[in-house]
Amino acid sequence: MTDSAITLRKSSKWGDMWASICANKAALTSLIFILALVLTAVVIAISQALGFQILPYDPNVGDMDKAFIAPCAEHWFGTDQLGRDIFSRVLDGTKISLSVGVAAVSIALISGTLLGAIGGFFGGRLDNLIMRAMDVILSVPSILLAITFMAAMGRGLDKAVLAIGLVSIPEYARIARSCVMAVKANDYIQAARVTGDSNLRIILKHIVPNITSPIVVRATLGISSAVLDTAALGFLGLGVQPPFAEWGDMLARSRSFIFSAPYTLIFPGLAITITVLAFNLFGDGLRDALDPRSRRR
Amino acid sequence: MKLSKTKIFAAALALVFAGAAVTDASAALSRKPQDNFIFASTNDPLGLDPAMVDDNDSGKINCNMYESLLRFEDDSTDVAPSLAESYTVSDDGLTYTFKLRQGVKFHDGTPFNAEAVKFNIVRQLPENAIPKMSYAGLVYGDVAKVDVIDEYTIAITLKKKSTPFLHNIAMMYAAPIISPAALQKYGNNVMEHPCGTGPYKFVAWDKGQQVILTRNEDYWGEPAKVQNLIFRTMPETSARVVALNNGEVDAINGIDANVIPEIKQAGNLIFSSDGMSTQYMFFNTNAAHDSICKDKAVRRAIAKAINVPEMVQSLYKGYDTPATTLLPKFVPGYSSKVKPVAYDPEAAKKELAALGVKHLDIITYSGARIYNTVGGQVLAEAIQAYLKAAGVESTVAVYDWATYKNKLLTDKFDLGFMGWNGDNGDPDNFVNLFASDDIINNQGLWVNQEYRDLVSQGVAMADGPERNAIYEKAEMLIAEEVPFLPISHPQILGAYRPNIENFAIHPVGLTFLSKTVKH
Amino acid sequence: MLLYFIKRLLMLIPVLFFVSVLVFLIMRVFSPDPATIVLGQHTTLEKAAAWREAMGLNEPIVVQYLDYMYNVLHGDFGVSYFTNTPVTTELLSRLPATIELSVIAIIIASVVGVFFGIISAVKKNSIIDNFTMTTALIGVSMPVFWLGMLLIILFSGYLHLVPSGGRIDTLMRPYGGTGFYFYDTLMAGDYEAFFNALQHAALPAVTLAGYSMAIITRMTRSSMLDVLHQDYIRTARAKGLSAKSVIFKHAFRNALLPVITVIGLQFGSLLSGAVLTETVFAWPGIGAYSVQCILRSDFPVIQGVVLIVAFVFVIMNLLVDLLYAALDPRVKYAQESA
Repeated sequence: MTDSAITLRKSSKWGDMWASICANKAALTSLIFILALVLTAVVIAISQALGFQILPYDPNVGDMDKAFIAPCAEHWFGTDQLGRDIFSRVLDGTKISLSVGVAAVSIALISGTLLGAIGGFFGGRLDNLIMRAMDVILSVPSILLAITFMAAMGRGLDKAVLAIGLVSIPEYARIARSCVMAVKANDYIQAARVTGDSNLRIILKHIVPNITSPIVVRATLGISSAVLDTAALGFLGLGVQPPFAEWGDMLARSRSFIFSAPYTLIFPGLAITITVLAFNLFGDGLRDALDPRSRRR
Repeated sequence: MKLSKTKIFAAALALVFAGAAVTDASAALSRKPQDNFIFASTNDPLGLDPAMVDDNDSGKINCNMYESLLRFEDDSTDVAPSLAESYTVSDDGLTYTFKLRQGVKFHDGTPFNAEAVKFNIVRQLPENAIPKMSYAGLVYGDVAKVDVIDEYTIAITLKKKSTPFLHNIAMMYAAPIISPAALQKYGNNVMEHPCGTGPYKFVAWDKGQQVILTRNEDYWGEPAKVQNLIFRTMPETSARVVALNNGEVDAINGIDANVIPEIKQAGNLIFSSDGMSTQYMFFNTNAAHDSICKDKAVRRAIAKAINVPEMVQSLYKGYDTPATTLLPKFVPGYSSKVKPVAYDPEAAKKELAALGVKHLDIITYSGARIYNTVGGQVLAEAIQAYLKAAGVESTVAVYDWATYKNKLLTDKFDLGFMGWNGDNGDPDNFVNLFASDDIINNQGLWVNQEYRDLVSQGVAMADGPERNAIYEKAEMLIAEEVPFLPISHPQILGAYRPNIENFAIHPVGLTFLSKTVKH
Repeated sequence: MLLYFIKRLLMLIPVLFFVSVLVFLIMRVFSPDPATIVLGQHTTLEKAAAWREAMGLNEPIVVQYLDYMYNVLHGDFGVSYFTNTPVTTELLSRLPATIELSVIAIIIASVVGVFFGIISAVKKNSIIDNFTMTTALIGVSMPVFWLGMLLIILFSGYLHLVPSGGRIDTLMRPYGGTGFYFYDTLMAGDYEAFFNALQHAALPAVTLAGYSMAIITRMTRSSMLDVLHQDYIRTARAKGLSAKSVIFKHAFRNALLPVITVIGLQFGSLLSGAVLTETVFAWPGIGAYSVQCILRSDFPVIQGVVLIVAFVFVIMNLLVDLLYAALDPRVKYAQESA
């Protein structure tokens, strides 16, 4: 049953996938939630760029007289130490978490896939060198490496993206490499070689389509870990420059008040968890959709 | 058979790890709560050799183990006898002769005498001091020679007159008398093997957890009241507050105004007193950086935009005093006649617009400092808000402390934040900062010859109204030129359980605990 | 097998070499100069320069590196800039705390994870399965430090069940032991102190275990499901073997392999988690300490930490691979696997 599915899959692969996701309620809900998040982030970014405020309060400007107000009708999530509205800040934080997540994953995905594919395709010394380099990155706990990078380069969104992207390159490299090696071993590639196809043609025609799905799945799940890493950096005081709202940074600031003002900690944490959960659920759904073998569960 | 395996395992573990643990196995201490005073603060000490560290977390432990020739009075920086019973000063004001206390022993049993004092001074003289000895230059930089007159008399001769010298000698955290035998035994580094003459002696240091001291039963003075002192490290303010309220610890420091209601509600007591420190926002007047702030009119206009008293009240909830000048109120030379630039938002807006100030670069540090309990970021954001109200946009660059200190040396910026913790209670200790050519001390590199002349006049003069008048003049100059905007004099805050008596934090920030009682 | 082992061991050398170069470059070339803060409030430019000179930071970077590596190979990791204490002393005095916490956490994570993983697989699509899987999914989605803070608020702040930080009540501290408090207190027969240490470890261990627990649960479940679908399980069932026997004798033993791999790899990721968990719970281990040292540019300590952690990490990975080989006769190490 599964064997025939693989050969038939190609033509209607994306249609199949869509149907599979629609059938998976959790994945569908997550997708809708993610789209809502993206929409929120984009709308906030555009409105801020145009200079008007659609959030209930300016997320970066506080009124010191209104510090530490518990959640109420005016301030749904309460206010922080500087009297800034936490609801507005949590919404504003969507922008940063999503953009860092997507940007970091893009960096890791592009360089990781390229490195892995090159290594897998050409093999030999080059492959060895690339994989040893990946081993080096993998042998240091990622958070420690990211902190070290951030401490060396200084705070800032761009640097957080680099640090998080860099430490996740090996994952993509490994996936891409093993996919390429598996495809390369197949008879039809051998045949293509014999008939004189160029390397580029082989890569474009046979390899790229085959590594897309595992990489896409990994990237979706990768965004969730990038969001978590961003928060961790922010929590350790190495995140974005103030006054920007970043969820991890908000949690770090609330640490001193966890007993006196727990609401300063609840909502940013919830925002992180729900966002990460959505990407995880969607990623799982996507994997099931793209990999029929796992779908039967 | 099995037992022996366990034993081998234990021996192996002990071999690897116990070599590292700084502990005395024989000294299991009393577990009775009334025998142990537990004091929790933010950081682990850097080390237990006072000459090599200048952080408060080390100092507040060291001050219970070490003494100096003189000491500060319990609640001021007036000097009193300690290991020296008396002293005389020669007529030319250069030679100080100290009569030492007899019958004092170091914790390792070796005797305290003039040779021991000389050993400690020579250790910190410019030709011997290593860079890590933070206070060596301040205390002993001007020493010409040290003479042992007899076993209990020592004479120190200076190269030039220095009014702060006696105050400097009284800083046990700068001029400690350490057992020469211990220094020799541990290669001039007793960071982990402290050995002084004080009321408490060292038991163990569990890194990242606690330092344990026990009463020195052979102490020459009044013996300490509580048997053991335990200094715990608890980085989070909220955790310290809960530990205090739950009775896990007896006293804490490093608290800010936001948690005080919580502490009082639990029936605990707050200790607060005026601290000997000042925090300020400085303007970059460094000629090399070409900041718009090198223009005095701009500095004055910015100062007008900021309501310092309101900001201090709202950030520190009345536990810090808004600063009007560089010197804290109780330091000689402080003058209430000095008035800073007054808050005037309308004028500020107009003037800043007229001067073409549209954007400022602010640089700050992320965490809390002793002189700033809410942290540099929160403070900078408050300033940012005032500037915005005056029509000036600003960016705040926040760095952790290490990076910040480097950025101050290399980056171009307009406004920055800093503070100074007074060492010895002498006004020169504060005012000389801005007479320096060193941008580590004079961060905005403000150069004003008139001010510098006043400072060098003041340092050589004897204490008294004449000297104070000089410092008043210097402060007036600061108020007029505004090289920096004084923000606040932080109060020293601590909290303790109701069953604790005689708990106090000295104005220099240290906790001398030998008189503290636990019921 | 032995040949493979030796080959793998030799391959560690270049990896560790490059790790040392990488961290050395990041620290010494790009990190903020510690000279301005290592001397505290009383620094001057002149003193800072003298300190740099004394620490050899003015030497060419290559010379610094060779010096450093020469000393490391002789067992000398240098002296902390801030405490003037040998790095080995600093690390060894904190290592027991981290090891103790990680071991407890991995035990909790494996036992709980495997248990619920099996139940979920056997009772597929039941309420228990759905509940377990949802919890596991939330577990991997929560920031570790947030979970830690929530637990502190609940168990320490409101319920007053456990202390909010530290390893043991100061007064219970064992004297003259190995630094492993569980071991020391048990050996001394001091059960009060042992339970006190246990109380202290409860929240941080659960927090640290959370993520790994979720991963192990999911892995066990899917691995069990794979096996339960195999023909020989159906055969065993058809032969009339009891359900218990089928699950534990046949299915679990075969499902164990990927589970062990995951547990081994999780041990490595625990080290990452320890950085955050230790920070939240003021656990006096290597993790919290290294963050502190990174922020104040204590080069020798960071270099030491990274080298040691990388060493432990690669050794763990190697052990996982060997265990895999030992348990699964099908794995042959004639050539390097992808």
